[in-house]
Amino acid sequence: MTTLLREHAEQQFAEELEALAQTDTHRRPPNWKLSPWAVTTYLLGGTLENGFTITPKYIGSRRLIEIAVATLATDHALLLLGVPGTAKTWVSEHLAAAISGDSTLLVQGTAGTSEETLRYGWNYALLLAEGPSERALVPSPILRAMREGKLARVEELTRIPADVQDTLITILSEKTLPIPELEMEVQAVKGFNVIATANNRDKGVNELSSALRRRFNTVVLPLPATLEEEVEIVRTRAAALGRALELPAEPPALEEIRRIVTIFRELRAGLTADGKTRLKTPSGTLSTAEAISVVNSGQALAAHFGDGRLRAADIAAGLVGAVIQDPIQDKIAWQEYLETVVKEREGWKDLYRACKEISE
Amino acid sequence: MLTLLGIRHHGPGSARSVLAALERLQPDCLLVEGPPEANHLLPLLAEADTRPPIAILLYRPEAPQQAAFYPLAEFSPEWQAIRWALACRVPVRWIDLEQTGQLSARQEPPAGEARPKEDNPASPPSEDLFSLLARAAGYADGEHWWERFIEHRRETGSDVFTGILELMSALRANTERTHTPAPLDLAREAAMRTHIRAAQREGFRNIAVVCGAWHAPALLHLESEAEDQNVLTNFLSASASSPRPPDHATTQPRDRATTRLPDYPTTRPRDHPANPVSATIIPWTYDRLAQRSGYRAGIPAPGWYEHLWENQTSLVERWMVKAAHLLRAEDLPISPGHAIEAARLAEALAALRGYPLPGLAELEEALQAVFCFGEDAPLRLIRERLVIGQRMGQVPASAPATPLQRDLNAAQKRLRLQPSAASELLDLDLRKPLQRERSQLLHRLNLLGIPWGRLHAARGAKGTFHELWQIEWQPEFSVRLIEASILGNTVREAALHRLEGEAARAAELPALTHLVESALLAELPESIPPLMARVQALTAVSSDLPHLMGALPPLFSVIRYGSVRQTETGLVRRIVEELLLRICIGLPTGCSALEEEAAREMSQHIREVHRSLSLLFDSTESARAENHQPQRLAWLHALRRLAEQETTPGLLRGLACRLLYDAGSAEDEEIRQWMSRALSPGTPAMHAAAWLEGFLHSGGQALIHTPALWQMLDAWVSTLSETAFLAALPLLRRAFSAFPPAERRQLGERLRHSGQIHPAPGQPALHPLRAQKALALINRILGEPAR
Repeated sequence: MTTLLREHAEQQFAEELEALAQTDTHRRPPNWKLSPWAVTTYLLGGTLENGFTITPKYIGSRRLIEIAVATLATDHALLLLGVPGTAKTWVSEHLAAAISGDSTLLVQGTAGTSEETLRYGWNYALLLAEGPSERALVPSPILRAMREGKLARVEELTRIPADVQDTLITILSEKTLPIPELEMEVQAVKGFNVIATANNRDKGVNELSSALRRRFNTVVLPLPATLEEEVEIVRTRAAALGRALELPAEPPALEEIRRIVTIFRELRAGLTADGKTRLKTPSGTLSTAEAISVVNSGQALAAHFGDGRLRAADIAAGLVGAVIQDPIQDKIAWQEYLETVVKEREGWKDLYRACKEISE
Repeated sequence: MLTLLGIRHHGPGSARSVLAALERLQPDCLLVEGPPEANHLLPLLAEADTRPPIAILLYRPEAPQQAAFYPLAEFSPEWQAIRWALACRVPVRWIDLEQTGQLSARQEPPAGEARPKEDNPASPPSEDLFSLLARAAGYADGEHWWERFIEHRRETGSDVFTGILELMSALRANTERTHTPAPLDLAREAAMRTHIRAAQREGFRNIAVVCGAWHAPALLHLESEAEDQNVLTNFLSASASSPRPPDHATTQPRDRATTRLPDYPTTRPRDHPANPVSATIIPWTYDRLAQRSGYRAGIPAPGWYEHLWENQTSLVERWMVKAAHLLRAEDLPISPGHAIEAARLAEALAALRGYPLPGLAELEEALQAVFCFGEDAPLRLIRERLVIGQRMGQVPASAPATPLQRDLNAAQKRLRLQPSAASELLDLDLRKPLQRERSQLLHRLNLLGIPWGRLHAARGAKGTFHELWQIEWQPEFSVRLIEASILGNTVREAALHRLEGEAARAAELPALTHLVESALLAELPESIPPLMARVQALTAVSSDLPHLMGALPPLFSVIRYGSVRQTETGLVRRIVEELLLRICIGLPTGCSALEEEAAREMSQHIREVHRSLSLLFDSTESARAENHQPQRLAWLHALRRLAEQETTPGLLRGLACRLLYDAGSAEDEEIRQWMSRALSPGTPAMHAAAWLEGFLHSGGQALIHTPALWQMLDAWVSTLSETAFLAALPLLRRAFSAFPPAERRQLGERLRHSGQIHPAPGQPALHPLRAQKALALINRILGEPAR
């Protein structure tokens, strides 16, 4: 039993990877631990010929995973796009674990990410003592991936400032990283590639330059396809988080969660669930992750100020806050939604009143 | 010798194999599955100005809405085979079961949903078997399997048809053990066999038959002639006596909803020889050929099939380059580098899935990942323009007249309105049935893009009963008429379908409301509900307040005049209410911080909405009964917000105050307060002037005839100190300067009488007795009982 808080994918699913490697007879691209077919099976789950069961890591379209794996098998890089909570990071971690057996070559993109993080830095003590030398060079995860022929991961690519992003262009097109200080360069070994993830609905991101964009094949990971699927995700995650926060509240009623998820899905789609009424779409993301936080804050309200049961009044505040991001346009969208949909819906009177109270 | 070439309709691989087989066989007679009634049209297909896609159209001249279509594209095996035969002077004829009886027997529209029957190689009973076969080969369904193995074939040397014949024989033998074949299929096959025997009897030695692969095995057994006669007679008499099986109800594109174009036709008895079927050819489009327009033997991707037909090598690369050109034309920066990468990804995907070559699915996925950056919109464009394609066919001038042309000719004769190249002025009095029908016809033709008549604005003196048209027939209208034949076989039907198409395409509200008006003028009431559904969808996502408000008045007129023209107004009413709700919610924010120009436009809109609203909701008793008060209240509430909101331009605030005052929804005291606030020295002069302008928007008459309003303004002026008055004077002057001189003089007269509300000089005081006498007469004129 491990004492680690969280294991890497290749540690947690070592057994499955091993079993796949043994039965895998398809052709493997150079330096890949598994064939593209086996990688796909690892992500989507399945039963091997010897009866071994692979658990599904990603539940959703097979097509998308196939495109992602096929992209990595060419030498083009892969860009996973999607709103928060669509398992971008999860997919990229498992792809790296299955293909290279190593998901740790990771650069987390932030507004403060510098070129050194993407290329290389220096151990300044050594640099001062010995002058520029390979020993004093501190390689970035990408540089290491190039040397070892593995997959490197860049998380939240669009949060990285645009000029720093463009450092990747040489690496992705020339597959080489010059180190002028040492008058040398590192050429990537076969098997090297990059998986980047980015959020496609957030505001305030640095759009990729078209030169960089061209180096990526894009796969958009969608939000959960059905209401039931999404309700299930929200329910399990909210319950888990509720336990972690040790809230003295009952687990949220399925009915309330269903209402929240319904509202999120309808506003996101710009269409009511019955497909009869068109709606304005607010500017916010309204992702599954936000639905989870609405449920959680509602639970906290109910626990500390209510009777411990999640009620309409508890979720109204979080709901309005999540929907209305832009104070003018979103407010109109929300009010129209309240008046034309929530008000008319059977059994939603309490929610309508609670929301109306806050929105006015 | 008899050679059966089993094909899939519109399969480019089949077409290629058929051509190769014909070259090899050099038959002396070619028989093709198709309508024998149109045999006389075959030579037309060889003409230089016949360009596919076209369709053979069979219809009943006296009821042209009953029709059947047989589309042919460049890559259809039938088309290629017929063209080959005509070029080599080999006798060619169509050999399916005749349509004649079938179209005539149908006097009334079929009950229930018309379900076109399937006629690709995977006919209904065999569908499961095909899937089994496909799954055994590792494909998702039979369609895919057929596509890969037959349609994607490049080499034409080996004899694929022998293989197909064997495969189909095996499949059929299997199916026939468990299913009884449909009587219709049996009859069609019997008819085809009869035709083949006839050809043999004529002495042809080397006959080639092009037919659906599923039918091929059945055509091998030509022995039992008597039995075939039996089958045919039985089928014909059975279908004559029993009601149509719903399965075979195919051929009527109905008046409403999407045109469901029929598949290869079914046959009815020849018991109405008096009602022969006419045939002609009309231009067709890829869009119509595609499955999504409801044509079942259609193919999902005509554009892709054309690509397969035209290109032998580098299919993937050429497709990517086509897509790149398309997107570049739309200003998306797609480089050759993208095309290279997309081609590589498509091939990698095909390899991952174990296919030898990428299919359409792989190509689309690669395009989406590389060209479209994962987005949907460019992909939709690619689907529409490339995968489906936009090609439209052309037919020779010598083709027989289409039913639409005949319908128009008949209408012209009936309405005594002959086309002439001379320009002519036509004054139509809509109260007379004949003239109203003329107007209807001209409006419908306008909808079809045939502006035979141009409508002048109705002349004021004659009111709304008159329409003034400038009519002039131009030669190109005939061409457009042939093109419009796709839309329907009568002017009315075609106009309806055009309207539906336009409605689906319209992206902005004003365009849509314009269509609503056209629908009213052309008297196509059944198009109103679908139009309304579009209006509803667009209003929900539109955030353009002027658009929303502009959409309202035409809808109001639908409600007001709809009953005259038999339009279902309940639906419109609901949408109007919804629209109004959205306007009320958006109005306060939509009106804040507008510049002068925009404020002026908005004031126009507000006045129009208000006017329509009062016409509809205030005037009629029934409206009150139907409880329209909530809408009225919401509107007044929104106006109040407008009047109170600091960021609203002065013009609109003044206007809102005035409308509230007129509606009796604001207290006099309130209005006074608003007025003095708006006109007080703290307010910028321009703002105050605009306020006053808005408040007095309706001109001086209101001031003259509404004493309270006059007093209010007067009272405010009286409270001003001398300096304040001097400051306000320019504003007042400006507001009053817009009034006509006569009104200003009248106002001046009144002021001279120290602001008292007396009748203006020159107007005698009312004399009750004299008035009584006049009233009796007025009541009679108005048709009310004299009191």
